[in-house]
Amino acid sequence: MLQGMDLSDDDASLMLRYRDGDTAAFAALYANYKGPLYRYLLRHVRNACAAADLFQEVWSHLIATRARYEPRAKFATFLFHIAHNCAIDFFRRDSNLRRVLPAYDSDSQLPEAEVPEHQRPDRVAEFVEQQSAVLAAVAALPQEQREAFLLREETGLNVEEIARITDVPVETAKSRLRYAVRKLKNSLRPMQEPEALRLRTYA
Amino acid sequence: MPDETDELDQYLRGDSDVSCQYQRESAPEPPHELDRLVLKSAGSSNSKMPFKPQSLAPFAFAASVLLSLALVLAMVFGPQVKNPDDKPQVVRVRIFKSDPPRAMPASARERNPVLWLADISALRRAGRYAEVDAELRRFRSAYPDYIIPISE
Repeated sequence: MLQGMDLSDDDASLMLRYRDGDTAAFAALYANYKGPLYRYLLRHVRNACAAADLFQEVWSHLIATRARYEPRAKFATFLFHIAHNCAIDFFRRDSNLRRVLPAYDSDSQLPEAEVPEHQRPDRVAEFVEQQSAVLAAVAALPQEQREAFLLREETGLNVEEIARITDVPVETAKSRLRYAVRKLKNSLRPMQEPEALRLRTYA
Repeated sequence: MPDETDELDQYLRGDSDVSCQYQRESAPEPPHELDRLVLKSAGSSNSKMPFKPQSLAPFAFAASVLLSLALVLAMVFGPQVKNPDDKPQVVRVRIFKSDPPRAMPASARERNPVLWLADISALRRAGRYAEVDAELRRFRSAYPDYIIPISE
């Protein structure tokens, strides 16, 4: 999670300085946010190549539109709103591709070249398998719930700000977060119970 | 429902096991190559300072006011009654196959028929009959009512 993410909004003033031509201010901003942004994208789209592309896309967008930046919200909200939109576009492209190629299922073989490597379901499954239990459980959450959880964990932003980033009412954001937490608890419980039993036996 | 609310509140307070487990996970960072690309992009695009749109705002406002004022003045003081002369006019043009009648003489000599006829007589005496015929045609066009002496 970002350190000191209650953000006094020093980051907004860094962004204003960058807007006015101070490249060092950008470097400071980048150092603060590169980790949380990268992990949010990586664990949301569940693919390292796609996450790297989106990561670059988010910063490129910020760089290209910096002249219009006005600090109307926390900088984190501004940055992750861009990231949210990039991720939405990614998922839309992905679902369009699947619609165009309806024959793509386990029974039919599609030529390798026609599906981008990072969008292949087997690659997504492989990604999930390589994760720890908690990350695999996060990866298995529905898209909106996964995003709400990752935004909370990686940025520490409150529910109102998560709602703002994802363009939904606060109640919707709250509901997504609630479902995500409950599902994660349920997924992790079977793994915690044997350990608890073992400890009890040794005691 | 109270349990659900408590569960979420507990999570938002940071007391949830789920959150603890997630935060214990490794925290991957973007590859260095990405760092390099992004920082380079930010630096190179900053070498040319972006043009600040807000700096144009006063000029845009002034231009809008001036344009509006000019339009209002044009509507108030501009011509509102149509001038009858503004109606489209029909111009009649005649086309003549031969030389136009009563062509006006051009030179001083041609303004004086006596002098012109004297010149024509001189041409005849010199044997330049083609020029005599041409000059006579022009003379008759210019002075159709003039009685040319028989010698001419």
